[in-house]
Amino acid sequence: MDADTQLVERCLGGEQAAWEDLVKVHSRRVYSICYRFTGSDQEAQDLTQEVFLRVFRSLKSFRAGEGSFTVWLSRLSRNLLIDHYRRTRLDRATDSIEEQLPLLEEKTAMISRTEGLVAGREASELLQGALQKLSPELRETVILRDLEELEYREIAQVLNVPEGTVKSRLNRGRAELARLLRRQKVSV
Amino acid sequence: MTCQELEILLADYVDGTIRGEEKSAIESHLAGCVLCAALARDAAGAVAFMDRAADVEVPQELVTRILFELTDGPSRAAIRPSAARRIFGPLFQPWIDRILQPRFSMSLAMTILSFAMLGRFAGINVRQLKPSDLDPVKVYAAAEDRIQRAWARSVKYYENLRVVFEIQTQLNEWSQQDASPNPADQNKQQKK
Repeated sequence: MDADTQLVERCLGGEQAAWEDLVKVHSRRVYSICYRFTGSDQEAQDLTQEVFLRVFRSLKSFRAGEGSFTVWLSRLSRNLLIDHYRRTRLDRATDSIEEQLPLLEEKTAMISRTEGLVAGREASELLQGALQKLSPELRETVILRDLEELEYREIAQVLNVPEGTVKSRLNRGRAELARLLRRQKVSV
Repeated sequence: MTCQELEILLADYVDGTIRGEEKSAIESHLAGCVLCAALARDAAGAVAFMDRAADVEVPQELVTRILFELTDGPSRAAIRPSAARRIFGPLFQPWIDRILQPRFSMSLAMTILSFAMLGRFAGINVRQLKPSDLDPVKVYAAAEDRIQRAWARSVKYYENLRVVFEIQTQLNEWSQQDASPNPADQNKQQKK
């Protein structure tokens, strides 16, 4: 039995400290997926909280034999993100991207002046901007593989698609991301 | 190797998990195909860029908010263990979990159904349960009746035991008092 499954068992046994450990251990992953997908700290915080509320209510539906806890949690987060994406699609169509673009270009120009390979926090911000322009299918695949480092098999379970589809989406997502970054004068 | 074949293997190639002949086949294809080479270059570049990007840190106030929700918010009730767990405790929990799995529940249901059908064909008549049987007053009255009967039966059994014991003790006393026991007298006493 792996550490996560043991933790879940303790939670279901009614141990308060185990629930707290579950939040502390897994909140980073959930927040990171939400933040990379939405591109907004506030939205990511609200969604992370919503994910955990669902975890508290539905942890008993997790079965260790049907995949790891990470897959179960990632699937729950992903489903909530897709619901959120569909709900807010209209709002995004009316504003946002055009407003964000000049700001992003200004930031890029500033970074380009400093020369060399962009890394750390600056790279994270540029990546954030570029990810938002990917389609949700490509974005979620890239996030789960390259940022959350899930196995292809696990991503296929989370997204409920064949492994071949995961790999194909990943190739397209990575290539598209490189093109978007290059368009912003970032060397990749 | 075709471009479609390469597309399937490209993700693993960029991750660096492909070795040997497969790797050289990919590289010879990339050397001759401009489109695939560009795709591979872009994918590898994006992966390297993401490696350089800083990890996302979770805001501490968010963790505190979720923990507060857990200890003092409405979720406090949601994380209480189920009634089955509270009653039977960790001793029987693995069994309960196993039995409650869909496949076992289905097997259990099918077994009950099979026995019900067998009973029907064998001519065993089980009285149908009517909605009126589920009336709480009726259920309570029936339970009380059964308890009363069981209690009365146990009391009677105990009383009978006491009487038998008393008779036996009395008989023993008489037989000891009588130095030369007469079989005819003993029979008389037993008949009494």
